[in-house]
Amino acid sequence: MRELVKMVVVLTVICAASGFVLSYVNEVTQAPREYQLLKYVQEPSIKAVLRSYSNDPIKDRIELTMGTNEKGEPIKKTVFPAKENGKVVAIAYGSAATGYHGPIDVMVGIDPEGKLTGISVMTHSETPGLGARVVEPAFTEQFAGLELSGQLNVAAQGGKISAVSGATLSSNGVVNAVRSALEVFPEVKKEVF
Amino acid sequence: MSVAKEFTKGLWKEVPPFRLVLGLCPTLAVTTAAENGLGMGMATTFVLVCSNVIVSLLRKVIPGKVRIAAFIVVIASFVVIVELMMQAYFYPLYKILGIFIPLIVVNCIILGRAEAFASKNTVIPSIADGLGMGLGFTFSLTFLGGIREIFGNGTLFGHAIMGASFQPFSVLLKAPGAFVCLGLILGAMNLISARK
Repeated sequence: MRELVKMVVVLTVICAASGFVLSYVNEVTQAPREYQLLKYVQEPSIKAVLRSYSNDPIKDRIELTMGTNEKGEPIKKTVFPAKENGKVVAIAYGSAATGYHGPIDVMVGIDPEGKLTGISVMTHSETPGLGARVVEPAFTEQFAGLELSGQLNVAAQGGKISAVSGATLSSNGVVNAVRSALEVFPEVKKEVF
Repeated sequence: MSVAKEFTKGLWKEVPPFRLVLGLCPTLAVTTAAENGLGMGMATTFVLVCSNVIVSLLRKVIPGKVRIAAFIVVIASFVVIVELMMQAYFYPLYKILGIFIPLIVVNCIILGRAEAFASKNTVIPSIADGLGMGLGFTFSLTFLGGIREIFGNGTLFGHAIMGASFQPFSVLLKAPGAFVCLGLILGAMNLISARK
């Protein structure tokens, strides 16, 4: 009986100590882990859409809460500002829309006037060789300089973007993601600039 | 045995992957480049030394019947610490090693040293044992990774060293290449030992 109690007590104490230590380590490494994740996963896209900056957009990131979704939970948005001489010259944030096979995540860079500085497709599940070609510069470079207007549409709908041939839905997905990013821009602008 | 002897036995006489032929899963899987082998070896060494210390400190407290469970909790805790640290400070390495970091928990070298050595010895020899075994493992993985990287990719630690005309044996970077290299190293070590 005594042995049984000892086994239970020792194991419990060891597990409790382990849990305590791990929760502490988790807490301490939280911030650097988040930073590294953004740096290695999103920084390539951020670099592509923000033309030039002298700060670290990831370190200076701004967390915004904008409205609520259908479930009533607040929608969080992370905005990456590009600064030069301490002044915000452009901002980048993510946006998503449905493509042909699923969601397309896009990073958009926008200057203070609401003009696009560039876009970059981060993740998608479009058809390789067809819809997947929306990640190519030939397609994404068409967006730079446009703003939220009729021009920001595929050519078939009277816009200036020529869709990737054979992949109208994927091209539209990217356009929609960019449009919805620009639609919330006035709201983001209030908070950032 | 003296502390120095406990330390050096892990470096040659009982070097884990080649002599004890333990811990082969990470040995074969992550050694596509010297740098990956080095990172994996360092992570394992850290876990090995720390778990040896704790197990040896607690060896009189842990009842024999639940010792394995207790060892595994200790080892798993250190593995999670390594994983979080790597994620926070060495993210590219973390991405490459991927699933093999959590799998350090079931690396039989670590449980083996806890069971065979740390649970029967005091702290100082246990540290020496863990450090020796860990460094032996690190050198082995770096060596194996180096060979595979040099001949499979023409680089070492990412630097091109074989010249432009070199045609890499890309099979060495695949699983069969790992087995072939491991076998050749085992054979070479047996040859050297037999000559002594």
